[in-house]
Amino acid sequence: MKELFPMKQILGFVFSLLLTVIALAVYFLDMSFSTGMTILLATAFIQAAVQLVVFMHAGETKDKGAIYTNVYYGVFIALATVFGTLLTMIWGYN
Amino acid sequence: MKIDHSLPLEYSTEENRLKILGFWIFLGAEIMLFGTLFASYFTLVDRIGSGPSGKEIFEITPVLIETIVLLTSSFTIGLGVHAMRIGRKKAMMSFFVITLLLGLVFLGVEIFEFIHYVHIGAGLQTSAFTAILLSTLGTHGLHVTFGLFWGLFILLQVKKRGLTPETANKSFIFSLYWHFLDVVWIFIFSFVYLKGMM
Repeated sequence: MKELFPMKQILGFVFSLLLTVIALAVYFLDMSFSTGMTILLATAFIQAAVQLVVFMHAGETKDKGAIYTNVYYGVFIALATVFGTLLTMIWGYN
Repeated sequence: MKIDHSLPLEYSTEENRLKILGFWIFLGAEIMLFGTLFASYFTLVDRIGSGPSGKEIFEITPVLIETIVLLTSSFTIGLGVHAMRIGRKKAMMSFFVITLLLGLVFLGVEIFEFIHYVHIGAGLQTSAFTAILLSTLGTHGLHVTFGLFWGLFILLQVKKRGLTPETANKSFIFSLYWHFLDVVWIFIFSFVYLKGMM
């Protein structure tokens, strides 16, 4: 039975629950918008990294370089889309 | 077909390795798809017209249930892949069944949430905000729905054919998809719900 529950994955799960609890502080505690967003950005991206490395085995084979390059590229385009849109549609008018 | 026994079953042939790489490239495109949805969401989030705002309609309890259920399902499918790698077919199938059941709970709560939104007057056509909210949540929910059927069919194949390089490869690729949906949900949880309720 024990061999079915590797320590790495259990720790990954506990850590992801912990990150969720930290993110919830934004809801339960009173804080400024910028503090809250900083916490959310940190917990969300760390959470994504935990999934990628612990559960998705992104760095296991010799395709590691191609896989990470592809993920970084996807994330870069997504961030450029989000912040570019914010810049042209919201911030540009303030 | 050359089978490399030093690697886990799902990577054991060149074709398998390339299929996994190909799926990662698909996931890269999915990241961009959700990127455009988030960009539209952040643009339209304050355009509520005469409809309700996020603060008025979001509730923490269903959102927390959805988050914990999906995080746990991501963990159980990880255990499923681990069991598959040590050749424990029964354990692997049990973990996959638990994963799909948790996915079903998630979907149930989300459908309930959608019905609730429409009921309180926050339907798809109420305002720019509700339109992009339901589109973003709906795109994720549709992915989960698709994943439930996909996972079910893969389970049937594993049951019928056992753990072969092909079925192991399919199962592993499905696990990548499922983890990805969890990652997307984390961003929805953080930047749609928690940001909206802050």
